[in-house]
Amino acid sequence: MMYKLLVPLATSILATGAYANTEIIGSVDSKCIIISETPGVYGNPNPYQLTTAPTSGGVKPIIRYDVLVADYYKAVIDHPVEFTSAPTLDDVVNWTGDVTVSEVSDTNMSDYDTNKVEYNNSHEYDLTVSGSTWFTVSSTADYGSTKSFPAGQYTAVVEAECIPL
Amino acid sequence: MYTTLKIFVVFFLLGASGSLMAHELLPTYPKLEQSYVPNVYQTKVRMWNGRMDVEYYKVEVTDSEWNPVPFITNERTFRIKYMERKEIETVIPPDAKVTYICTRAMLEKGNPQKSVISSKVCSKIK
Repeated sequence: MMYKLLVPLATSILATGAYANTEIIGSVDSKCIIISETPGVYGNPNPYQLTTAPTSGGVKPIIRYDVLVADYYKAVIDHPVEFTSAPTLDDVVNWTGDVTVSEVSDTNMSDYDTNKVEYNNSHEYDLTVSGSTWFTVSSTADYGSTKSFPAGQYTAVVEAECIPL
Repeated sequence: MYTTLKIFVVFFLLGASGSLMAHELLPTYPKLEQSYVPNVYQTKVRMWNGRMDVEYYKVEVTDSEWNPVPFITNERTFRIKYMERKEIETVIPPDAKVTYICTRAMLEKGNPQKSVISSKVCSKIK
């Protein structure tokens, strides 16, 4: 009779103990997300020039990088050096451009521009702080030596890459 | 009521500010696993398309110097709808030295309404 009571009680206690020891396991993985915030528009202040400068009717593209864990990724952003679609051009286009950090979610990111590495049209940033960084790209295309661009639609692409270190 | 409206405005602003135009690839460091064929390895990465303006992506597999490496996958250029996830399995032949597996956004040519920012996110095999 006593055993009949004892066994369910012991089972109940053991089960409670097992339940109390259930673990919740969580881990934070590194992650990089590229967000295209503002696509960018070329203004045409002079017949021979297309530029993203806001004072000339352009809009600078803005790209946001979100990294969850510091020191896992680098951002590589290329400003354009050719049109991906344009009317037929019979003269040289001179390209200039730049990439700068325009906004940060952490003040420790403020030296990103100082520490960036530039080569050709690429701008390389080590993402050494977790959080969000906004990069603004500027681009200007001058046709020939002040030659007028033919009428039509012009498109150039900004390349934004996120590479694990 | 005011709180509900505030939450709606915050979400609207987040959407409008571009948080719904994202491209992600996980994990950061995938591991190569032996396939059922000797000396042939395989790995999986997961992609999420949060870009409303892009539906086509391309898989690129390279060595540490960014030289293309031969690989096998279901579709090198694939369609992935907005807010969808996709698992990408790549099979690497013997002697191929793979370092990066990347997905690159493919922009539609001649569509001025679409974005002109091409995103590329990579995973690295260490």
